[in-house]
Amino acid sequence: MAFISDTHGWYSDLRDEVDHLNGRWDVDFVIHCGDLTDTGTSKEYEWARDILHGLRYPYVALIGNHDYLGTGDQAYQVLYGPVDFSFIAGRIKFVCLNTNATEYDYMAAVPNFDFMEEEMTKDSARFDRTVVVMHAAPYSDQFNNNVCKAFRRYLDYFPGLMCCVYGHDHADLVSSIYNDDLLFYGIDCAEHRNYRIFTFTPYGYEVEQVYF
Amino acid sequence: MMLLLAPLRMMAADVDSVYVSTPKPSAYDKRVLRYRKHWEALIPTQMVIQNAGNMGVVSVGMGWNYGKCCQWETHLLFGYIPEHQSTRGKLTMTLKENYIPWSIDLKRGWSIEPLQASIYLNTVYGHEFWKTQPNRYPDSYYDFLSTKFRLNVALGQRITWEVSCNEHKIAKSVSLFYEVGSCDLYIRSKFIDSSVPLKDVLGLSLGVVVQLL
Repeated sequence: MAFISDTHGWYSDLRDEVDHLNGRWDVDFVIHCGDLTDTGTSKEYEWARDILHGLRYPYVALIGNHDYLGTGDQAYQVLYGPVDFSFIAGRIKFVCLNTNATEYDYMAAVPNFDFMEEEMTKDSARFDRTVVVMHAAPYSDQFNNNVCKAFRRYLDYFPGLMCCVYGHDHADLVSSIYNDDLLFYGIDCAEHRNYRIFTFTPYGYEVEQVYF
Repeated sequence: MMLLLAPLRMMAADVDSVYVSTPKPSAYDKRVLRYRKHWEALIPTQMVIQNAGNMGVVSVGMGWNYGKCCQWETHLLFGYIPEHQSTRGKLTMTLKENYIPWSIDLKRGWSIEPLQASIYLNTVYGHEFWKTQPNRYPDSYYDFLSTKFRLNVALGQRITWEVSCNEHKIAKSVSLFYEVGSCDLYIRSKFIDSSVPLKDVLGLSLGVVVQLL
């Protein structure tokens, strides 16, 4: 599966990215880690959507902080549904979390611990491993950094947590943010013209960074 | 005795002659005139209805035209954005300046204005929109102006029908116009990535100007 992120404004790069992905044989689905738009206008959502609909795979998109501007979050919900969601593929649950707390002035349940709690056990018979995806990583300017450590504790309750994936930073950094064994994979922006392919096997996973 | 007679003589003379002098306005009269003239300039001379143009499905308002050939217009419009799939409908306010340099007379009261160049600033009401980025963000986090104010430009044309003097009822003239415009955000998108379709960046707007005075 492929992770792309932060495509805002760079529609030509996104188009090339979609073409490049369509040329592969090893992709089952694509996750966009947020910032589909630059200023949250409906037109930008439509431009991004029209290009992403060119993918020959199913895709999901998280909401990024830029997608909130104005009433952009309402447009996102019309196009892509709830801001926290999950799905199961190959007995792996992908938990996609809204972590843009700054956009709510820290006045909302972001990250939503109730949602996380539900997802730990919901459909537990159908998955054994978990990947958590978010737009902004803990300790970033969007995360509610007062709950970084609580968030880390909650992550431990997800069955077979393998790694976390995030966007926002426009960088391809791989790090253990909490200085433990949990890896956080940063997905670069479309302008830097690279994405990541994750290949999940019964024993683990492999990651490849692909330039286009 | 002489002192008493003098006014009587003058009175007799006044009755005989034709009185032609016009009263000289006092300083107070002049001030009132000036005061009225200045406030009268604020009476709107136009009524305007416009659709689209990044200001809602329909906007209504008033306008003032001025200049040597009335080539300048200022419109103040209030528009409405319907709810569609958002949480509620929204109100907008627009301050628009038009420049109409030429008017071609087509006879029988019709004329065409081949160019209407406009620049306008508009705002949308709602707690979601901010003038400058709120304190919760780090400095220059979103490197653009505002989500509350948009600067727009438009070019268009209009056709005007002059109501003949003896048929005046409500209006002096009625103009229909169209304009094609864009706003700062869309122009910015086009600059960032030229593959953004031009037809999506531009918007068509139609409107009516009724000249009241």
